[in-house]
Formats: sequence, C-alpha cells, structure tokens
Amino acid sequence: MSGVRPPKRRAPAPVGPLMSASSITSPARAGIALLVFGGLAVAAYGLGQTPGAIGQRQSFALLAGAAFGIVLQRGRFCFLCNLRDLLRDGDARGVLAILVALAAGTIGYAAVFGAWLPNPFGGRLPPTAHVGPVGPALALAAFVFGVGMAASGSCLSAHLYRLGEGSPTSPFAVLGAVAGFVLGFLTWNPIYLALTVETPSVWLPAHLGYPVWLVATLAVLGALAWLAQTRAKPATPSVPHPGVAHAVFVERWPPAIAGLLVGAIATLSYLRVAPLGVTAEIGSAARTAASAAGWLPDTLFGLDGLRGCATVVKETLLSENGLFVLGLVAASFAAALVSGRFRPAAPTGGQIVRGLVGGALMGWGAMTALGCTVGVLLSGIHAGALSGWIFLMFVVLGVVAADALGRRLRPIQAPG
Amino acid sequence: MKVISGVLGFGFALALGGVAAAEGSAVVTADWVADNLKNPKVKVFEVSVDPGVYERGHVPGAVNIRWHSELVDPVKRDIASRESLQKLLSAAGVDKDTTIVLYGDNNNWFAAWGAWVLETYGLGDRVKLLDGGRKVWEAKGLPLDTATPEAGNGSVELTPLKAAVRARLGDVLKVAEGDKGSVLLDIRSPDEFSGKIFAPEGSKELTIRAGHVPGAKNVPWSKAVNADGTLKPKEELKKLYAEAGVDGSKPVIVYCRIGERSSHTWFVLSKVLGYDVKNYDGSWTEYGNSVGVPVANLSGTVWQGK
Repeated sequence: MSGVRPPKRRAPAPVGPLMSASSITSPARAGIALLVFGGLAVAAYGLGQTPGAIGQRQSFALLAGAAFGIVLQRGRFCFLCNLRDLLRDGDARGVLAILVALAAGTIGYAAVFGAWLPNPFGGRLPPTAHVGPVGPALALAAFVFGVGMAASGSCLSAHLYRLGEGSPTSPFAVLGAVAGFVLGFLTWNPIYLALTVETPSVWLPAHLGYPVWLVATLAVLGALAWLAQTRAKPATPSVPHPGVAHAVFVERWPPAIAGLLVGAIATLSYLRVAPLGVTAEIGSAARTAASAAGWLPDTLFGLDGLRGCATVVKETLLSENGLFVLGLVAASFAAALVSGRFRPAAPTGGQIVRGLVGGALMGWGAMTALGCTVGVLLSGIHAGALSGWIFLMFVVLGVVAADALGRRLRPIQAPG
Repeated sequence: MKVISGVLGFGFALALGGVAAAEGSAVVTADWVADNLKNPKVKVFEVSVDPGVYERGHVPGAVNIRWHSELVDPVKRDIASRESLQKLLSAAGVDKDTTIVLYGDNNNWFAAWGAWVLETYGLGDRVKLLDGGRKVWEAKGLPLDTATPEAGNGSVELTPLKAAVRARLGDVLKVAEGDKGSVLLDIRSPDEFSGKIFAPEGSKELTIRAGHVPGAKNVPWSKAVNADGTLKPKEELKKLYAEAGVDGSKPVIVYCRIGERSSHTWFVLSKVLGYDVKNYDGSWTEYGNSVGVPVANLSGTVWQGK
C-alpha cells in the first residue's frame, strides 16, 4: 500500500485549513493524479483481458474500489468524523450522507434480491450477502470497534482513504489492525463456542417480506435523519464559489450526492462481485502470516462458513477484495492531490500510539464481528441483516463512551 | 386453423429435431445449448460448487441446484431422497420427455455428480452435460442472465433408487480382498493415491489413514479434460484409461475422496465410453476411516493426529 505514495515528500508548507481557493491544483499534483488514474485504468484493462469471468470480476473490483475511494475522499465519508461532527458541532451533513447511502443501497439490494431470490420465505439467505450471526459477540465486537475508532480518529475504511491523504496516523492504524486481527483469531474459538455457535443469522426479509422490510428500513432511516436534523445547528450559509470545477475537485461533495454514490457503488458491487467490505484482505493477510508463523489454532471453528468479510488463508497475491482496497487507496490519493488534501506529515508519538492501539481494537472488533463499518454496518443494513443494525447501535455506543471517557481524562481533546 | 397447426407442427418438429441432434451424445456443446434456450423440451440446470456464481449470471433460463442441500440428504450421509428430487425437478418444469442439461463451475465436477444422482433415479438417458461447463460458456462470451426462471409443474417421474451405478463399501472391500470380477479406479491426485498426503490442502473431510484401496489403478480425473475444460476426444479417453488397465472388459468402480470428483470420471467412462461403471460415493472418507479394511500405503505415512 505504501507503493502508492509519491517518492518525495512535499515541504510541509501548505498546512493551512485549505489550499488557497484560487488555485485548484498545481500542474505537478494534477500530473501525478492523472498518472495514478491512468495506471488504474491500464491495470483494469489488463485484468479484464483474462478470458472468462475471473478477469472481468477482478477488473470490476479494482474500478469499484477506485470509485469508492474517490467518493470517500471527496465526500469525506467517514463514520467517526461524521458522527462527531453532529455530536460536537451540530453539523448533520456527514450523518445524512451515511443515512442516504444506507437508504440508496437498501433500494438497490432490494432490486437485486427480487431477481436472485424471488421468494424470501424459502429458508435460504441471498447468496454472499453479509447476513451475520446476531449475538452478544457481535455487540461486544462492535462496541470495541467503536472505541478503537474514537482512539485512532477514524474507522478502518476512512483510515484507508486517509492513507491516500498522507495521514500520519493511518499507517499505524492499519498496522495495528493487522495485529488486532491476529488477536481476534486467537480469541475466536472460545468466543465462537461460548457466544456465537447457536446464534441465528437474522435476515429481515425472511420475516417481513421484501415490501415491508424495504418500507420499514426507509422509515427508520428517515426517522434517524429527522433526529439528526433536530440536533443540528443551523448551518452557516457557505459562500457560493464560482465554478463547477471547484465544486467537483475541491469542495466537499454534498451529502446527498456522496450518499447516493456510495449506495450505487454498493449495489453494483454486490451485483457483480461481492458486498462492499474493506477488511477481508487485511484479515486474510493477517491470517496467512500468523498461520505461517504457527501462531493460530489449526481450526477456527465455523469461521469459513459464516457470512461477512471472509478471511481466508491466501492462495493468490491479491484477491478481489485486495484489488478493491488497492483501487480505494490509489484513487483517494489522486483525489486528495487534486483537491489539496494531500498533506503528509511526520507522525508524533501520540499519533503512533493512538493509531496502533485504536487499530488493534478495530482489528479485533472487525475480526470478531466479521467486518467493520463497511462490511457489517453498511453492507449488512443494505442486505436486510439484523447484524448491520446491531453493529450500528453498538459502534455508536462505543464512540460515545470512549469520547466521554476521553473528555474526563483530558479536558481538551487532541485532534484525531 | 390448419395452417396454424401446420406451422406449430413444423416448429415442434424443428424443436424435436434439435433434441434428436443431441440424442446420440452424452455431452452437448455450448453452441447447441445456446440454440436450444427456447426449446420447451430442454431444461438447463446449473450445479456450481461456489455459492453466488449462479446468481451473478447464468445460462439464460437455467435453474440453480444447490448441491449442499438439494443433491444430498442434509442429515444423514446419502444422496437426496427421491421425493425431494422429484419435487425439485417438477417445480423446474421438467416433463417426462424433457432433455436435462447440467453444467457448472470447476470443470463440471458437481454437474457430473448431479448427472450421477439423476442416473440413480432412472433419468440417465435424458441427462446431458454441457461440455466444458461454465468455463467454456464464459470463454465464448455467450450471454448470461441474472433472473430466476419460473415454470409450471412438470410431469417428470423418478424411478426408485437403482443400485446398478452405485458401489457400497462391501462391493469395494470384495475387490480389495482379491475378487477379480471388477476393477477399481482411484481418480485422486498421485500424492493422495500414494499416501504422501491425507487430503489436498484445505480439505475439511479427512481420513485417519492415507493411501488407496489395494489393487486400485490411479488416473487423476483431470487427465480427461482439455485445457479449455472440454472432454478429450473419445479415442484419446479410451487410450488413457486402457493404459491404466481400465478397458471396459470388466465392470469398473470409481472413487475419490468424497465421491463427487469421481462422478466426473464415472460420467466419462459410463456415458462417453459406454463401460459398466459404479461410483463409490462413500469414497476414501468412508474407506480410509473404516476399521479393519486392507489399505495400500506406498509412502508409509503415519497418522499423527495432525
């Protein structure tokens, strides 16, 4: 992943709140961004030349990852900062983007389900959809994940796009997450036997039918949006900036647009490759390495039979999920360059510690919950999985609890 | 009216002609399937190993068969019951005179297993494999569909289970103990056959003894297919198995690890070459775990609980 970093560090000069609005980007930055996008296009074309369906799926995964990376970066689609924006500053835009993404993806999934599984009552789950087991292990894992998010300043998907922005914390958070995954594998067997083995994978359409599930989901999301709006302070009217280019390349994308795009990418990705998720490749790398080092138990009970961000011992260098993550990081890097958000900085000791510790908590949580805010929360709620809703509830609780504790320990919150 | 029925009759004759073209052969080409997608007397089924493959795009009009639950008994280790298979095929609109075409991923492994299961219920003559399976269909760039087809109930009727194509542990044991009446064919990899390994990497179904049934010949199933996934020509297949001592002069029993890959070889020997073949669906996971049976272990690997 470090391969997408530019060879030379820029001088830490433009650390201002935003690049000066007059110049969208320097020619050098635009040139590097064009090279990255060109490289992604060439790689996608090359992958697509493999005869049969495999090459086409790999090509699609890379492009979908790139699209996702651009939307995350340009929309600042980050679960933690969006939640904090609302709770701390009364800015509801980010939370609305998440709710729009959940609603749009749910509608998209419903359309796909109608073709793939016309009868939801037949006792089958829709293929490969992230419908995970619902039990105390999920709630605990989501809570711990939330604490890890608060500690490290981002969820895992946001750390991945922030790698592309040159964040000093993110590389350590991803490293920490790999270690957290290994911890998760080590605790998997006792947790599975004690808490998970007999818990049901609840798929709401199987109980409600498609129409009621869809209407109920949209109603709950609508209610949450209304709730968020009531907490929001009246937005300071932003100064309208002349020019479409500025709105596309520099300004943060409006929440509705970012949300709709995430919903669309999620739907198309489910249709063509797999539900969105960003931890399968990280987890697989951790599992392969730890397994090769002989740290893991021989058998991880039931793990390979459960739905979610599956981690497998790697046989190929890059899986479809690996290509997705690679596309995400590369494209968010290019998008950050163009918008002037690429600001690498040397990490401070605090950032390293927060990254490693928060990352480890998130890695453990994502392994135990079989995914993160993308794989379980987003793809789960899209798919009508109760596990998605449980994750949402407990991850928010984890963030709120950690932030409350943080305020007690340290009256002035250090920036994440 | 007469004109209309004449036209209909002509169309029907064409359709029947299309089926007749496939009558002589146990496999049909992807092009034949593409030409017969609208033929009411042809029903296509996908039997893929991996879930989610069918739903993301299948041969238009094909019905999904999930081998984990629909070709086997989900509780005891056995093939699916006559009632449940009858229900499945009827709901897919299979009539008494419908040609059933099976295909799947992984070189038709589980499609061939499906063909064997249907053979045990007396449908063998009307079951064909799409030569090369998904791989060839995709490589040719033929269209894929994501819709799930619907059909009225068909009139298909399954016979009671026929033992003629199924070998049980007792049948295999007889050969192992010296009966020269039939010949055993192990279609696993040479390393499994010799006993170097207990099972391929990642296999969950294990035995606590390695090796093979004494007297068995070894021809890995994959030797029967070309690089593109299609079956090799008949003469080449005949030669391949004859060199290993399987020439059709004696009844054959094929086995593998769990009984599915051996269906592929069962199909080649029985349906393409016309030999008298039984599939031993207990295979090495039953035999290699049985107490007191003779085992040939060329490598001398000892089970150490790992």
